[in-house]
Amino acid sequence: MTKLQAKNIVKHFDHNGNPIVALDGINLNVEEGDFICIVGPSGCGKSTFLNIVAGLEKPDSGEILLNGNPISTPGPDRTMVFQEGALFPWLKVIDNVEFGLKMAGIPKDERREISQRYLDMMQLTKFADSYIYQLSTGMKQRVAIARALAMDPEILLMDEPFAALDSQTRDLLLVELQLIWERTKKTIIFVTHNISESVILGNKVEVFKNRPSKIKKEILIDYRRPRLAEDENLQQYYHQILDELKSEVIARTKDDAQ
Amino acid sequence: MTGNVHLKRSRGNIDDAANAALLVSVFIGVWQIVFMLGIWPQISLPSPAMVAQTFAKITLNGSLPQSVGITLARLLGAFGVSITLGTLIGFTMIKFKGFGKTLNSFSAGLLSFPSIAWVPFSILLIGFDEFGIMFVVVMSSIFSIMISTYSSIRNIPTIYIDAAKNMGAQGVSLFRHVTIPAATPSLIIGLRQAWSFAWHAIIGAEILMSIVGLGHILSVGREFLDMSQVIASMITIFAIGLLVDRFVLQKLEDKIRKKWGLDNHR
Repeated sequence: MTKLQAKNIVKHFDHNGNPIVALDGINLNVEEGDFICIVGPSGCGKSTFLNIVAGLEKPDSGEILLNGNPISTPGPDRTMVFQEGALFPWLKVIDNVEFGLKMAGIPKDERREISQRYLDMMQLTKFADSYIYQLSTGMKQRVAIARALAMDPEILLMDEPFAALDSQTRDLLLVELQLIWERTKKTIIFVTHNISESVILGNKVEVFKNRPSKIKKEILIDYRRPRLAEDENLQQYYHQILDELKSEVIARTKDDAQ
Repeated sequence: MTGNVHLKRSRGNIDDAANAALLVSVFIGVWQIVFMLGIWPQISLPSPAMVAQTFAKITLNGSLPQSVGITLARLLGAFGVSITLGTLIGFTMIKFKGFGKTLNSFSAGLLSFPSIAWVPFSILLIGFDEFGIMFVVVMSSIFSIMISTYSSIRNIPTIYIDAAKNMGAQGVSLFRHVTIPAATPSLIIGLRQAWSFAWHAIIGAEILMSIVGLGHILSVGREFLDMSQVIASMITIFAIGLLVDRFVLQKLEDKIRKKWGLDNHR
């Protein structure tokens, strides 16, 4: 079943008075339970696309359909894990996880029950009463994931959530995220500039073309899970994506030089 | 690890106290030497001991504590009005963008307007009474509150608002649960500034407009050529200003900055 559909999404940005085409007709079908990775060079508009799906930005034309219904505003059916976590420092970990539930008017007892479940899942139980400044970057991203999952969204959006992590922490979270995906059967769109990440996580990898951005190629990765960072069999996918991206990076460098 | 941090902190406190004590001793020492050189007559420059004596006298006869009480009561009343009104106007400035921008520029001009310059206006408009004094204090601190409310909210990192909207927050609950707490660290800075303006204003207003209060006993000292009382009042004014800023506002700011993760040094 099609969960989410992006239809011909176009977005322009104003750059010193000149319009720049950020997204030039993005079409994407996301099936229920898909783990989609969007990979592309930085500045290619992949985060903009995710923001549009989240409803945080509006496209100039085109539409996003969730379960067949057009969406235009942000909503808890599409929760986002932001690159920098975007956790609220004035709240304890547990209250961060419960924030969306509170906004939805869910009673306190029920909120506690739900948040405990996701804190357990992300191995954060011990840190429930900590404040955000007391956590490492990796722990913060765990909280951000727990917070997004607690809303039980239709679709989970992740915007380079592991970009700021050290590689050991990242490898660990890459495995955990796959297990969570299998356990919760969530539909996930994961944006990254890191090819390895996209190969490890995605069952579909969408390679974004440079400005004006389009989807250049979709690569299907049907490989057993949990996939590990050091698995050499994943190399072939890695190189396939790298080949697609190389020309983009070169084009981009030329673009910037002008 | 925690033990170490505590040890470090208490050591830091002791160092601070020692430095403060040293500074005060040097100041009193220099003062005593200048006094003994006899450059000024005793009536113009009393010794530290003479000032201490006056200090004890006006404390024991109740005039100093009473003045402090009256001044602080006025100040808290006026500052309360200032915070309430200033914050509400600040919110309105956010709500109506054009109005906010214009008022922000005017307020910035009025921020540097000397508080004492409100006194004649206040005397003629309201009179030589409590409300006249409070008016001066309010006018001297409200613009600082307005500007800080306006800019604190405008400068909230967009990512907090995005994240909150993403989780379904909107309208009043967005404002209450995200906008206000996100703006708090910078609101506190505005509060500290407004407090210092209010403190300047109340003493000035009391010197010119009051028959009681700290500013009043300061000007009584001048009228009766009692330099000891002038200096004792000045020290009291200094001490209260310092205590409130250091031990109330700065503590609050430090606590909030730490919790909000704005302090990198731990």
